[in-house]
Amino acid sequence: MKRVGGVIVSHGQLANELLAAAETVVGELSHITAVSIGWHDDVEIAKEEIERAIKNVSEGIGVLVMTDMFGGTPTNISAMFLKENEVEIVTGVNLPMVIKLASHSQETSLSDLAKDVEEQGKQSIYRTSALLEPQKLKKDA
Amino acid sequence: MREGTVRIINPLGLHARAAAQLVRLADGFNSQIIIRRSDNNASANAKSILSVLTLAASIGTILILSVEGVDEENAFAAIDNIFKGGFGEI
Repeated sequence: MKRVGGVIVSHGQLANELLAAAETVVGELSHITAVSIGWHDDVEIAKEEIERAIKNVSEGIGVLVMTDMFGGTPTNISAMFLKENEVEIVTGVNLPMVIKLASHSQETSLSDLAKDVEEQGKQSIYRTSALLEPQKLKKDA
Repeated sequence: MREGTVRIINPLGLHARAAAQLVRLADGFNSQIIIRRSDNNASANAKSILSVLTLAASIGTILILSVEGVDEENAFAAIDNIFKGGFGEI
């Protein structure tokens, strides 16, 4: 089965550490790589690094680039590689999104997977105290 | 269908690495495997780590394990076993 590749792009070491955390949970992820852009790195060098990373993880059915923050340099540079059915970008990467990409088991199209990962990222944010509120009410009743 | 309860006995509960162990095990079976909390309506597909994590099951939580498929007896026994072993953490 061919997999959609993944590139995590961030400021500082966030991308490397997110990938390391995901690998600790689900095991080695050969189809996902990380590009950490230093705070003082040259844009051209960063661009080349992202381009190389996309090539390295591509299995021929597309690459999903997950960046740290919409509007930030990692996203803006990644956006230069946007191409239908080849490269998609989802911003605001979090650990559940990386795990979602890591654990998709059926062959999925890049655009569907990008939507799934976006949705997973949004759904995985909880204000934990809100989850406890109904139980508190029950106890009071 | 094979159904029964399991209790979480490892101190950290069903955290990320324990959930990953469970999912790897469950993935090896053909059967559909569903885990439900006995104290609320939360339920999860045992083959999806992100689904299992939403159970937020801590030590002492009792879960209802439902397994349906050709290998349900073996799958139930294996999963029951991993809970009883506290995910190798105790």
